Amino acid sequence: MRTLPVTLALALLSGLSGMSAEAAPPAARRTTAAPTPARAGPVYLVGGELHLGDGTIIKDSVIAMDRGVFTIVGGPEARARLPAGATLVDARTRIITPGLFAADTQLGLIEIDQEASTHDDGKATEHPIRAAHDAAQGLNAASSLIPVQAVEGITSAAIAPTGGLISGQVAIIDLVHGDHRGLVARPRAATAAHYGQTHAGSRAATLAMLREVLADARSFPSRRAAFDRAQSRPLSAHPLDLEALQPILRGQAVLTLSADRASDILSALDLAAEFKLRLTIIGGAEAWKVADELARAKVPVIVQPSQNLPVSFDSMGARLDNAALLHRAGVPVVLAILGGVHNLRNLKQEAGIAVANGMPWEAALTAVTLGPARAYGVERTHGSIAVGKVANLVVWSGDPFELSSAAVQVYVRGALVPQVTRQTLLRDRYRDLKQFNQKRN
Amino acid sequence: MRRPALLLLGLSAALACDKRGQGPAPTPPVATAPAAPTATERDPEPPGPRRQTLLRGAIVMTATGKTYARADLLIEGSKIAAVGVDLPVPAGATVIDLGGKTLTPGIIDTHSHLGVYAAPGLVGHSDGNEATAPNTAGIRAGDAYFPQDPQIDRARAGGVTTMQILPGSANLFGGRSVTVRLIPGARSVTDARFPGAPEGLKMACGENPKRVYGSKSGPSTRMGNVAGHRDAFQRASEYQRSWAKYHKDLSEWTAKKNAPPPPPPDPKLKQPADQSDTNDKPDKPPEEPTPPARDFGLETLVGVLRGEILVHNHCYRADEMSLMLELAATYGFKIRSFHHATEAYKIADRLAAAGTSASVWADWWGFKAEALDGIRENAALLTQAGARAIIHSDSAHGIQRLNQEAAKAMFAGRHAGIDITDDQALRWITANPAWALGVAERTGTLETGKLADLVVWSGDPFSVYTVAEQVFIAGELVYVRGKLEPHTDFELGYLPDELTAPQAPK
Repeated sequence: MRTLPVTLALALLSGLSGMSAEAAPPAARRTTAAPTPARAGPVYLVGGELHLGDGTIIKDSVIAMDRGVFTIVGGPEARARLPAGATLVDARTRIITPGLFAADTQLGLIEIDQEASTHDDGKATEHPIRAAHDAAQGLNAASSLIPVQAVEGITSAAIAPTGGLISGQVAIIDLVHGDHRGLVARPRAATAAHYGQTHAGSRAATLAMLREVLADARSFPSRRAAFDRAQSRPLSAHPLDLEALQPILRGQAVLTLSADRASDILSALDLAAEFKLRLTIIGGAEAWKVADELARAKVPVIVQPSQNLPVSFDSMGARLDNAALLHRAGVPVVLAILGGVHNLRNLKQEAGIAVANGMPWEAALTAVTLGPARAYGVERTHGSIAVGKVANLVVWSGDPFELSSAAVQVYVRGALVPQVTRQTLLRDRYRDLKQFNQKRN
Repeated sequence: MRRPALLLLGLSAALACDKRGQGPAPTPPVATAPAAPTATERDPEPPGPRRQTLLRGAIVMTATGKTYARADLLIEGSKIAAVGVDLPVPAGATVIDLGGKTLTPGIIDTHSHLGVYAAPGLVGHSDGNEATAPNTAGIRAGDAYFPQDPQIDRARAGGVTTMQILPGSANLFGGRSVTVRLIPGARSVTDARFPGAPEGLKMACGENPKRVYGSKSGPSTRMGNVAGHRDAFQRASEYQRSWAKYHKDLSEWTAKKNAPPPPPPDPKLKQPADQSDTNDKPDKPPEEPTPPARDFGLETLVGVLRGEILVHNHCYRADEMSLMLELAATYGFKIRSFHHATEAYKIADRLAAAGTSASVWADWWGFKAEALDGIRENAALLTQAGARAIIHSDSAHGIQRLNQEAAKAMFAGRHAGIDITDDQALRWITANPAWALGVAERTGTLETGKLADLVVWSGDPFSVYTVAEQVFIAGELVYVRGKLEPHTDFELGYLPDELTAPQAPK
């Protein structure tokens, strides 16, 4: 049922490869929130059942993408705005959603979990405060993991460093395989930290350390000169780390805190209120127990719906309907694969599991698109289908969460993702085993 | 001197078991260790009239190739008494109307560590790897199985009725597995053990033994791994020989001992004046042969050589699996199933020829170097090549939705143009694992005479939205979603409602 003409597909492919050659400056040097302008030519998708990601559904939709962003989004009336003679991609019978957004992952920082030589996710140091650690500077856009996720509908991801109490800076990427300079859509969107028994063997010690660092960071700009003259008391972290915390203290970036136990989540809420932080909770196994407080504080919670086991005494209350209960209480819920980088593609299955356990379908879609974009503060550019936003979109063969459905077409920054991965190449090499026996004879 | 006598008693019990399955003496000791009851004897069929339950009006997926759009299934006692359209209602039978829901065999997992790595993951709960020596073939997972692991309840709620509990993969020979049923209320492994199921032997290739022992005693390379495998089977063959010799000597000695004493010489007859005459003294009975020292590890391997213990071999790469098939052929045993086998699709033809199944994940890959080439079409390509594919979990989360894992593997196959039927995919998690565990005669399909291990699904078992609503194990209803959700001791007092809600009287 692919109706995309071959010539157009080829044009899109060349557009994609062209992007890597002379795109934006390196991620590390860019500071704006603007997405990388892609040079993908115009694409027109018509007829699909469009789910914008914010809960809105448009039947018989019209979508135009050009230069990496959505230029037209509407119903049948928008057909009039299509240029005469434009080549249209027929999306009738298809469901169209925003590209899925993978929260809290190390995609591009880890190739093989158990091989340390393929890891760039954590800064190896004894010091628990690594706020300036900007792991995304070492992202590998050529990772074989990126296409494996992209062909199944993951188009954006929040790349978080790991380790320590404050691990470092979180970057938002679009899954443009091979584009080393253009992969990062938004550097330093958030700072990643961890609550629970992370530091010095106790929760109280962890909390005290977080408070001390945040207090030092708050006063650091006014004491910088004294510090440089060595007229300051010792600080709890390196000046670069204290500087890196300024955006979260000014509310310009998000602090993500991983916490599972209900009591930890309450402590995190108190900390956020004290320092006026924009907080996102990651993990949240027992978040349902404090759903009302989370809703009141409007703090997003990133959960993995299938995680229903009491794997530790921090998650004794883990349950399958966590996401549903949080949503019902009014908490902005985000669904994610937490831990492991190779199968972010199963995010759609996790959404299905959430729905099977009581979460409304449309809310689950938001929780894997606009929800994560909001949780990381990039909702102005990412997460839903709207004019001016980054053109990340998936055309599905059926219900996106169903195991039987496939991503028929995936667009990242307006360019069609080729349905080729290391895995499809392996599959095709070993599809017919007779050839190996023939070779041997 | 009591100890050897006890050992011999144990041995003779083991030998008694052997005679049922195998040929005549001489018989070496066999893996049926003294403490492990042969479960066939305990197959619980309560006395008195057998309870009958008719499950009516379901889509019945039998995992035999046949699917009924609407049919009934009659349970009698622990067994399936009939499957068919419009079955008559026997007098006194309980009737459960399934209203078009889907009935499948209970799900079977060939690879689980529930009970040996119980949740929460406490230091005190870590019982899955006896990582003290690369060969611990004599230990048994059953000895560590903790029936109060709360993960068992979640697996049952996912429709799992039978699972093999394996030791971990740190060792070249991890030890013996135990196949258990997920019945609630088990107070020890003996209560949970699948009656009559053979034991398995966990073996491991590749990175794990290397990693665990590389800085200790070794092996530190794949060379060392295979040398360890080869050496162990060589010693097992020799052990088997020494026992065979012992049994031969013993039977000759016994025959001599029990032979009637020779008649006294007739004084009237003239004795030949040969040498024996001059040496003739009162007979000193020949000494009773001494049995070889018993070695439970080698006994396990002898059980493998005799085909009584089934080999479950953790192995990822195609080249390593090929080598293990060659090693097995050299020593004359079969590998029942390769586990994880992320590259099984590369040697699907060899697996089919060897009659070795592959227990694989739907889509795990990349977590270690030997898993880098995992693909979602693995199970489909195996099935297409005529090999026996199994979807296993090796995960306390994955075991809760093996139906979904099978679905992902099936649809990946179909999207790639490999035509896998629903029934074939169902067999990946029912009939095929039953075969790998040696219990296919008893469970794994919906057929008359088999154990009534069943799942009632809310809808299509390959949909993400479908849940298990009822689970039967050996005819007993053990789970009803929202109504009968048994919990282990562990969770008492931690579950949110129990401390506040009044306890329902039993």
